[in-house]
Amino acid sequence: MIRFLLGAIFIYASYDKILDPAKFARDISNYHIIPFGLENTIAIILPWLELIIGLGIVFGVCIDANVFISGGLLISFIILILQAILRGFDIECGCGLKDGDMVGWSKIIENFLFIGACYIIHESKARMLEFYPKSSL
Amino acid sequence: MNFQKQVAVILGISILFGASFNLLRDTGIPWKSIPIEKVDETKAIEDNFDEPSIREIGLEVAKSLQSNGILFVDARAEEYLEDGYIPGAIANDDTETLSQQVATLIGFDKVFVIYCSDDDCGSSEELAYELQEFGFNNILVFKGGWKSWLEAGLGVEHRE
Repeated sequence: MIRFLLGAIFIYASYDKILDPAKFARDISNYHIIPFGLENTIAIILPWLELIIGLGIVFGVCIDANVFISGGLLISFIILILQAILRGFDIECGCGLKDGDMVGWSKIIENFLFIGACYIIHESKARMLEFYPKSSL
Repeated sequence: MNFQKQVAVILGISILFGASFNLLRDTGIPWKSIPIEKVDETKAIEDNFDEPSIREIGLEVAKSLQSNGILFVDARAEEYLEDGYIPGAIANDDTETLSQQVATLIGFDKVFVIYCSDDDCGSSEELAYELQEFGFNNILVFKGGWKSWLEAGLGVEHRE
């Protein structure tokens, strides 16, 4: 159940960002941390990565690899949000889950919960509807 | 396929899909972001523009434009306006209503200025792009915003 929920969250989060990468690039730019004008590069690729991760987790394809990448992304998001909070930025998080969602401690807690879900999925022995290839770290 | 290869394949597919979709869509964006053009002189600002544009201005140009009666739009949430705002500025948390107010006041082609709290705030630029979609052609973003206006000791207005 956690697996399907996490996967669905990633799929949902990717939707608006795929439709409007320009807006997502501006959200990334508001963090004032990405160098060399790479906000657009991230805005073009990251939403598709979230979508593919989400689909992989839901449909049981390369679950461990997808969960590993998810965890890496979530840690990155926590670092970005934390630095925005510490620098006093009052900006939209660009998370894609809710319109106008601002950076804040609740977003950090939320991402930690998602990381927890990644860990549970990875450690789970029972894998419903997991398709080939099965993977191992 | 081992774990490392799976990670590489997932990343590779994401890049492929992202790049392809961006290439094929009408609203694709450049791979490297281009900062908005900065205008340093008031005389470089044309009052009417044929094509939609969003440009950045600093404090000196903002001061000059405000004293010339150019419309200012405050992009901060309305609760922040209790602390004051640039004289004559309008604000509305609902973008559609705000666009109607601006259109009624100055139409779609005349220049107006959007600002928010400070240099790091992205609300002014975000609002600029939203209003551009409503058909406004000549938008200036005052990056220093409310903070630089206050620090310069310039006049402010308060809600009654």
